[in-house]
Amino acid sequence: MDTLFVSMAVIIAGGAAGLLLCRQFTLMKLVAIATTSVGCGIGLLFTVPKLLSGGAELAVTYNWLHVFTLAFKLDSVSLFFLIPIFLVPPLTLLYSFHYLENKDKKLRVGVSYFFFSVLVASMALVVMADNMITFLLAWELMSLSSFFLVMYDYEVYENRKAGYLYLIFAQGGAMLLFATFALIYRHTGSFDFASFASIPDASKLLVFILAFLGFGSKAGIFPLHIWLPKAHPAAPSHVSAIMSGVMIKMGIYGIFRIYLLLDAPTPVIGQIVLATGMVTGILGVVYALAKQDIKQLLAYSSVENIGIILIGLGIGMVGVSEQNQAMAFFGFAGALLHVFNHSIFKSLLFMGAGSVLHKAKTKNIEELGGLMKRMPVTGRTFLAGSVAISGLPPFSGFIGEFLIYYGAFQGLSSQNLPYIMTILAIVSLAVIGGLATACFTKVVGLGFLGEPRTAQAANAKESGFAMGFVMSIMALACLVIGVLPEPFVRLAFLGIQDVPAAAGFNTDSFIVIIQHISKTAALFIGLLLLVSLFRKMMYVKKEIGSGPTWGCGFTQPTVRMQYTGTSYAAEMIGFFKPFVPVKTVYTGIRKIFPGKTTWESEVVDIAESNYQLRLITPMLTLLGKLRWIQHGNIQLYIGYIIVAIIVLLLFL
Amino acid sequence: MESILSFCFAVLIAPLLPAVIQKVKAYFAGKQGPPLLINYYTTIKLFKKGSVYSTSTSFVFKMGPVVGFTTSLMMLLFFPMGEVSPLLSFHGDVLILFYLMGLGRFFTILAALDTSSPFEGMGAAREAFFSTLAEATVFCILILFFRLTGSLSFNEFFSGPHAMNLMGEYGALLILVVVGLYIVMLTENSRVPVDDPATHLELTMIHEVMILDHSGPDLALIEMGAWFKLLFYSGFLARIIDPFHSENVIVNALLFYAVVIFVYVTVGVVESITARYKMNLVPKFILTPFILVFFVTILTMGVLQ
Repeated sequence: MDTLFVSMAVIIAGGAAGLLLCRQFTLMKLVAIATTSVGCGIGLLFTVPKLLSGGAELAVTYNWLHVFTLAFKLDSVSLFFLIPIFLVPPLTLLYSFHYLENKDKKLRVGVSYFFFSVLVASMALVVMADNMITFLLAWELMSLSSFFLVMYDYEVYENRKAGYLYLIFAQGGAMLLFATFALIYRHTGSFDFASFASIPDASKLLVFILAFLGFGSKAGIFPLHIWLPKAHPAAPSHVSAIMSGVMIKMGIYGIFRIYLLLDAPTPVIGQIVLATGMVTGILGVVYALAKQDIKQLLAYSSVENIGIILIGLGIGMVGVSEQNQAMAFFGFAGALLHVFNHSIFKSLLFMGAGSVLHKAKTKNIEELGGLMKRMPVTGRTFLAGSVAISGLPPFSGFIGEFLIYYGAFQGLSSQNLPYIMTILAIVSLAVIGGLATACFTKVVGLGFLGEPRTAQAANAKESGFAMGFVMSIMALACLVIGVLPEPFVRLAFLGIQDVPAAAGFNTDSFIVIIQHISKTAALFIGLLLLVSLFRKMMYVKKEIGSGPTWGCGFTQPTVRMQYTGTSYAAEMIGFFKPFVPVKTVYTGIRKIFPGKTTWESEVVDIAESNYQLRLITPMLTLLGKLRWIQHGNIQLYIGYIIVAIIVLLLFL
Repeated sequence: MESILSFCFAVLIAPLLPAVIQKVKAYFAGKQGPPLLINYYTTIKLFKKGSVYSTSTSFVFKMGPVVGFTTSLMMLLFFPMGEVSPLLSFHGDVLILFYLMGLGRFFTILAALDTSSPFEGMGAAREAFFSTLAEATVFCILILFFRLTGSLSFNEFFSGPHAMNLMGEYGALLILVVVGLYIVMLTENSRVPVDDPATHLELTMIHEVMILDHSGPDLALIEMGAWFKLLFYSGFLARIIDPFHSENVIVNALLFYAVVIFVYVTVGVVESITARYKMNLVPKFILTPFILVFFVTILTMGVLQ
């Protein structure tokens, strides 16, 4: 355990070095990146062997300020979540070397590296925490450090707004967590996590729901997701990568942890998680399809993947309440594996989007196109990431989804409600997969292929070496996990070895299936190479012409005539109309000699518009009526304070 | 050995069968129709040609046909054609295979978008949409089959004590599945009434418009991939319908292919007597089998107590 604290100290030292050396721009970047990466490396070197050896749980406690006890404990779930926490940051930091190039913002870059290291360390603390105080301290540290990272470009009004929205959701979620812990504390009188199971069964459901909402606002469950599509475009791309790839998974960790701690027998919990997962997954991907801003689209796609992970967890929980061990095992294992896989391909995609934004100066799909030829490394790695995130073999996304599917199919032997829920889960996964394919063919097909739609896109060049190198590694990782999934599946199995419901399950027959999957993927790649070779042979000594695309008889096409992202998605969006409303503004033609007219359409996030309509507006009206309290008279403010103290002392 | 022969036979016969559809359509139109071997001639002709590539395209455009062809070939490797066990089979293969089909679609769509032609973009958008809807039905069928047979592999669906067959134990439940699967087949293979490759206007096509810019061997690969896919789906249907069973392997295979040809003939009949639906009706048409099969999966709660 001490090794982990050492690694955290090194990570923080790296960030602090960034802060101290900020006058020497390049040196600062090098030192900060190298030191933080070394810290993460130490962490990984401890975590992975520990998980593989399946050693006993570790626990330590420290006294802090004589009042609080800081307790840390490591079980297999914590260890598993530590892997992406230590694995992704070094890669994103390496990427940032060429991404943060503006020497005029020296200090800001230094501060950014500092908060980055704090974020990494606090995430590690979150999964290690073993009592309420430790957990909440780490949780708040994580929320605040990521808030400062989002605010990197604070001059832009939109970014400030996004940052504040994130802060509201982070702190609102934290408040729910405080409420959860307070409820538990009332029953047990102890800060210890281990005491959670002893609260009466009747309160467990309420406690879980509160915690689920609190953690869900961090993970981005529907309808608490609206900060994601605002904060991710605002943050620098390597920060979006770490936030989307790793930080929102802390919400998932929290949900899983509180579920395990409560040890609640009620089946409703599993059904709530499963249903939320389905809604989150489907609506997330439909909104992703509707967005034209690549980073916004990726943010919604994170919402979708959180949905898939929740479906996995939900399948596992339903399996536990149905006493179906296979279902529980594969549901939980699939969810964990998808957490790991998503942390890689989502980071990759955000970095790709950042690379595009860096060179083409826009992240709007409608203004891109033809980047595959201009940015070959970014284009190819983005393509690999897109195949992976669509859950298609032979890439990594498929493996996690396969485990979840497998768990869900095991649940088909149930009856009544669990049976229907399982069917719906499988069908939702299939539909999510299909829509994700549509969504990512849209990004790749319209953003990277075809002809450039603007001069900026036409003049884009490949990004710096560090960025391309990192993205290539991650794309390769997606392929390797897809073709040789066995060690990673075993890792996920080890990750849930300390979960009571999964303990003692024999996985031998499933490992055989995974080996078959691996062989099938290899066979597919082999066949693909053979067919490519055959195709090459067919073209030997043939006449290969080139000319413009055939325009069905039309001879003077312009790039503006290409299909757009909006039109590509229009039909599918229309299908989900009541949930995904499209707002159109048309000024119309009113005079006999019409002037200039405009038409615009925008997909409205139904959660956001409902908050606006039903929550924010009434609240503002109500609070506006109380404005007289804030009059600006200092004497009266002091009066308020005295009254408050008297009330607190005498009456409470 | 039998498996290898069966696979080779399936690959060889795949181009012949679509000609049956053309013959049936010609018969309905009072024409003579092309010769039965037309697709072999076309393939050889296409392989002899070179290609013209649009200057807009990149390597993805050339990958489209290769990936599409390979994924279709994979289906034949895993499907028990002619009631002979397939070359490869394992518990869980249906999931990876349907996802591999998704991969084929992914690259076909990308290849279409790579040409930067608005027509191909439109076709790509429709393909992405309609196949997503069809996917829901396919997975519902898998759920049902898993519930009835406890297996997740094509080979196991059709062997063992609970083999999925209309004449078998759960035949009554399978009637609706046959209808559903038939509609999925029409959708996934771009047949009338979902898609009409023979219309005069590119705007009204789905699959055919996506491959406008492909030529020569690339086009041949796409066509062959489409034939394999159609053979897979009609083989799937035929295994469920096929009422005959004999001890002799060859007789069995012949009977199986007779049923397959019957499926092709019905496709020809459907194409002759119906027109393509208006685009806004197509989603409703594709969702019909989903409702049917979903209903059947609910029914199993009563059947399997």
